[in-house]
Amino acid sequence: MSRHTVQLTVNGEPQEVEAPARRLLSDLLRDDLHLTGTKRGCETAICGACTVLIDGEPVKSCLMLAVQARGREVTTIEGVHGDNGELDPIQQAFVENGALQCGYCTPGFIMTTRAFLAKNPQPTRAQVREALSGNLCRCTGYMGIVDAVLDAARRLSGDRSRGSS
Amino acid sequence: MRDFELLEPRSVPEASRMLIEHGEDARLLAGGTALLLALRQRLLTPSHVVFFGGIGGLNDIRYDERNGLRLGPLVRHAELAASPIVRSEVPMLADMAGRIANPQVRSQATLGGNLCYGDPATDPPTCLIALDAHVRLSGPDGERTLPLESFYVDYYETALKRGEVLTEVMVPPLGPAAGAYTRFLKTPAEHRPLVGVGVVARMEGRLCREVRIAIGASTPFPVRARAAEELLTGKIVTPDVLEEAAAMAASDIEPLSDFRAQAEYRREMVKVVLRRTVAALFDEPNEKLTP
Repeated sequence: MSRHTVQLTVNGEPQEVEAPARRLLSDLLRDDLHLTGTKRGCETAICGACTVLIDGEPVKSCLMLAVQARGREVTTIEGVHGDNGELDPIQQAFVENGALQCGYCTPGFIMTTRAFLAKNPQPTRAQVREALSGNLCRCTGYMGIVDAVLDAARRLSGDRSRGSS
Repeated sequence: MRDFELLEPRSVPEASRMLIEHGEDARLLAGGTALLLALRQRLLTPSHVVFFGGIGGLNDIRYDERNGLRLGPLVRHAELAASPIVRSEVPMLADMAGRIANPQVRSQATLGGNLCYGDPATDPPTCLIALDAHVRLSGPDGERTLPLESFYVDYYETALKRGEVLTEVMVPPLGPAAGAYTRFLKTPAEHRPLVGVGVVARMEGRLCREVRIAIGASTPFPVRARAAEELLTGKIVTPDVLEEAAAMAASDIEPLSDFRAQAEYRREMVKVVLRRTVAALFDEPNEKLTP
């Protein structure tokens, strides 16, 4: 069946992949580009483990054809880190608030959180819960995760008020 | 997912020609959140997928006082929810769009894709029928405009003819009317409603001058509650009148029965949700969106 050339930017780097029409974005990232931080969970768009950002907006990469990402900027968990390779404030908040056990859902939660806090830097607890409604965690429950997002919001606004990124 | 030939039209007429050429073997892809699920589960196995989402200029949000709101079919739910003009002129539409499914789906799924898929378990059709929205369709015989209400024919069935695509959604200005849309979920963690009720009314205090009520998610396709509308029109909306109207609307529908809810539960909840939505509208007609 038809094959297509997909040019896109992934974590700031231009990429070009030739793929069949039915290639999913999640499979392009994992199998063609070997960025295995993006997880395949339910593969039916419920669990959100495959969440990546496209032009800053969260999407479920198991529910999108690779060709739909053509010309777009994709950010995966591999593109999330501090200035010198350390954890970024959202990741650090997840670690310190016990927001993960097995860690399989964590990349998806972090990507959703990143997009959410960029738009809503000082959310309420209820807003955080709504923002995370497309991501499932089967280990921890959600208390620690919601705590982590609120903590990350405080860390990020602290960073901004000090004038660093 | 079965493999397929992906076609990438550059214009609406080209997409239309591709759909005519491949007929039942072709499916249109916009945002993909609904179609990809059906492809992955092999509920649909088209030989050709026409990628409508790659056509430019179909995601405008425009408003003018005479014509109201004009929405391109590729406007995404998140864009509708965040649009300042939609939030100020048709707040019930922005509010509804900000509650569909979950953030990931809202930033990928399109309004046109949602309307054309004909899935009953969703919110936009019901909300837009209450708002008296019309849709513009473009096909081999040219363009035509339909009230959204007549666009829905049956369960997963729309009035789209072979080769026709939806090119615009038009929402008339609310004028002195106000509206509200309520979705009812089985549990707060659910992403799809089992009942949706949209109400748009022109009110003078508790006097109902004019009202449109749409019921969806509980029926094979969204419907107007005409008997209830007629009963309410020209009346002071007291609890008794409202109770009677809600009961009338609930007894008029043929509810769906599926894993989300049985028919009789849906009928009961249509009554409750309709009553609450109308009551809230008459209690607080000018309630503004929270930021």
